Amino acid sequence: MNTKTILTILTSLVAGAVFALDAPPVGSAAPDFSLTDAKGKTHSLSQYKGKYVVLEWFNPECPFVKKHYGSGNMQKLQEEYTGKGITWLTIDSNAPGSEGNLTADAASKVMTGWKTHQTALLLDPEGKAGRAYGAKNTPNMVVINPEGKIVYEGAIDSKATPNPADISSSTNYVKVALDESLAGKPITTSTTKPYGCSVKYK
Amino acid sequence: MKSGVRLAAYAVVCVSIFVLPSSGQSQTYKGKELVKAELLADTNAIVPGKPFAIGLLLRMAPGWHTYWKFSGDAGLPTEIKWKLPPGWKVGEIQWPIPLKTTDPGDIQTYGYQDEVLLVQEIAPSAAVSDSTVKLVAEANWLVCEKICIPGNASLELELPRSTTSAPANAEIFARYRRLLPRDWPGGKVASANWRRTGSDLRLNVKSATLANYPAVDFYPLPQGDTVVGHPRVESRSESEIIFRVPIESASPAGAGSSIDGLVVLAQHPNGDDRMAWRTEAPMIASAGSVPTRGIFTFLFFGFLGGIILNLMPCVLPVISLKIFGFIQHAGQSRQKILRSGIAFAGGIFAWFIGLALLLIALKAAGREITWGGFQFTNPYFVLALSVIVLVFALDLFGVFEISLPQSVTRRLLSSSSGQHEAASFFQGLFATVLATPCTAPFLGTALGFAFAQSPAIILLMFVAIAAGMSAPYLLLCAQPAWLRFLPKPGPWMLHVKQFMGFLLLATLLFLLYVLGAQRGLEGAIWASCFLLIISIACWMKGAFVLPTASVAKRTIVLALMFVLVLASGIYFIGGKFRSTNVASADSRLRGDWQAFTPERLQADLDEGHSVFVDFTAAWCLTCKFNEANVLESNAVREAFQRHAIVKLKADWTSGDPVITKLLQRFGRPGVPLYVLYPGKSEEPIVFPELLTKGIILEKLETASRTVASQ
Repeated sequence: MNTKTILTILTSLVAGAVFALDAPPVGSAAPDFSLTDAKGKTHSLSQYKGKYVVLEWFNPECPFVKKHYGSGNMQKLQEEYTGKGITWLTIDSNAPGSEGNLTADAASKVMTGWKTHQTALLLDPEGKAGRAYGAKNTPNMVVINPEGKIVYEGAIDSKATPNPADISSSTNYVKVALDESLAGKPITTSTTKPYGCSVKYK
Repeated sequence: MKSGVRLAAYAVVCVSIFVLPSSGQSQTYKGKELVKAELLADTNAIVPGKPFAIGLLLRMAPGWHTYWKFSGDAGLPTEIKWKLPPGWKVGEIQWPIPLKTTDPGDIQTYGYQDEVLLVQEIAPSAAVSDSTVKLVAEANWLVCEKICIPGNASLELELPRSTTSAPANAEIFARYRRLLPRDWPGGKVASANWRRTGSDLRLNVKSATLANYPAVDFYPLPQGDTVVGHPRVESRSESEIIFRVPIESASPAGAGSSIDGLVVLAQHPNGDDRMAWRTEAPMIASAGSVPTRGIFTFLFFGFLGGIILNLMPCVLPVISLKIFGFIQHAGQSRQKILRSGIAFAGGIFAWFIGLALLLIALKAAGREITWGGFQFTNPYFVLALSVIVLVFALDLFGVFEISLPQSVTRRLLSSSSGQHEAASFFQGLFATVLATPCTAPFLGTALGFAFAQSPAIILLMFVAIAAGMSAPYLLLCAQPAWLRFLPKPGPWMLHVKQFMGFLLLATLLFLLYVLGAQRGLEGAIWASCFLLIISIACWMKGAFVLPTASVAKRTIVLALMFVLVLASGIYFIGGKFRSTNVASADSRLRGDWQAFTPERLQADLDEGHSVFVDFTAAWCLTCKFNEANVLESNAVREAFQRHAIVKLKADWTSGDPVITKLLQRFGRPGVPLYVLYPGKSEEPIVFPELLTKGIILEKLETASRTVASQ
């Protein structure tokens, strides 16, 4: 092995370490986090072990988020799956001062105003949870299985547009992943490219 | 004349600015104008049937941006939907090289700030009835600063119909055209190589140009469901850079072994001087003639080419041996003839399928592959072939008889005994090995097509060629009645056999000529010395290793032969021949031909010359034939002089990789290739593999006419 090869291997190791900050791939353990919700209550991922958990990155100002809330699509999904015993955590990782960042009060207002049905809306102003998952978009969806492994990450559905009219003709990847998981089947589409606004990190 | 037209054009442009209706629309958000959109054409009028360019101009408020074709981690590409009159066609959006932005959280996006012009080519139908044409486009975009706002506009542009047109909006179109990615330069300028390890792709770019650009980046353009991570520079030197592109799709293997994208070069990241080279998944970009014919047409060409291979001068001696075999078989049972014919065809198939598998394996390993040159550019292959040809010739002369170790007579050539299937098989194999330098007409194009295809098609193509080459024999075997037309066997056959030996010696001369071209006179002489020793060894076998001789005597002679061949091989080939230098192609230039280099071609074109390039090799008989009968004929020489065309010779005898790249760009797996570059801006003209004086003269006329009329 010559010096060049060794150098190449070293640089790829370093590059690999840097890259580790990116999204943990499907199949790996879901990073734990602990965040407070709109009511000031603390939620950590580990407390939901043994259940399916959906993570949804959120920004009330983002037209792509509005697409799914304005049409009632997101609320319907939240209602259906929390009704089936699934934990649904909506996370706002936008930094204070940027559009979409919610205070506890504002978050409560959005929840009642938009008639949402998630288990909790978590505030992540430091972007800790967002960065741990490499969440870059709103909406950005993650499904975690009862063993604490990531089984789906990516877009909410197959049509990357801000147009609510496209919802009816698109495939909802989260719904498919959850239905397949609940039926004990392997998940057909486990990774997609998320679409939407960027998360405004600190 | 030229400047007159241009002046008139400017006048029209100036007028048209005031005449044409403005069609702009604005996107406002909270009372602020975010985006102003309008359509611009690069012409002031529509000439039926004449394509023109139209662009969507988006002007963004400071700090706001719209997105590239691949938006990156967030955002959406701008969309344009056209409503055009029936029969009109619109091309794809020509995306300028975007700016790359990295936001907190390692969010990378590709887009445009301040302003962008998204140009599309429009081809009007040949008949336009209305006196003015309204072009309507529905544009959708996403504009983001901190927050993202979707925008859309229904835009229209009215243009008058006319018989002539003049350029419009020239400055802005030129400005954005400069920002378009270029095709991969190829040749000596830059090479690109993809490698896959696990879920990572690695793109290795080698180019001296890199030294002039401190900022080099790779912007991916993933297709379909492929999810890419952020490309990163893994290592970089003066003239080489390696990018690592992680594939994050659930099944990275489905993404293939490369992805499209741009290698972006600039003085600093997002510099205004940025330029980009487009990488394409199969790096064999065809310039000029793109093969559009279907696969069956190419398979048929392969089959035809296979038949024609039989008549090629390098194959004929071996083929005549087969015919000779048929003459002998004429009196024998039909079954026997059939078996022999099938075995012969089997040999042909075995070689071609073996070659196909080897090429597929090399291609999978990311190596560049080519046809004839694949073997013949290697002097040791030529040398090995020389030995085989010589040994066969000596056998035909009766100096000795080739026999397989077991003295059970499994004769390869004089197959008077029963088991000639094996012999037939090897004859078929041998005939095919010799056929490789003769890339017959059709075959070149067909193989060029096949090499850019999937392994299955490469294999199919070789099978088609093998089928073509063996077709005559199989036919003759299936219908042995036709053998009647061949003469009766008799003592004359011994003389024919010996005469065939001379044909093989002629082939040997050709091979020595190739070796000489590759390694100079000395190389040819050292190779000949080795061949002489081989001849002596063969003679020793014929004279002393006789069935009547004692086992001890036979063993001693065989051992001596072995030592002799080994020692001379080590001395002449391993020592003398190996130390000869690769002969310079310049020494083979004659007359007014100059040696080809991509730089010389570019320089000549820059000076406004038309350039003819002859891609040739010493071992390429088709090339030699074309050169002697067409290119060096008085009529053609004179025509070249009259039109002041620069003649460049690209010599591929030793497999120069720069020339290999160029051959691939033209979709050719080997030589010959003849290309006329009429001028800097014209498409090169590609000639067929078998030249005629007529076709050269005709193309020279038309090419010089188009150049003159500009």
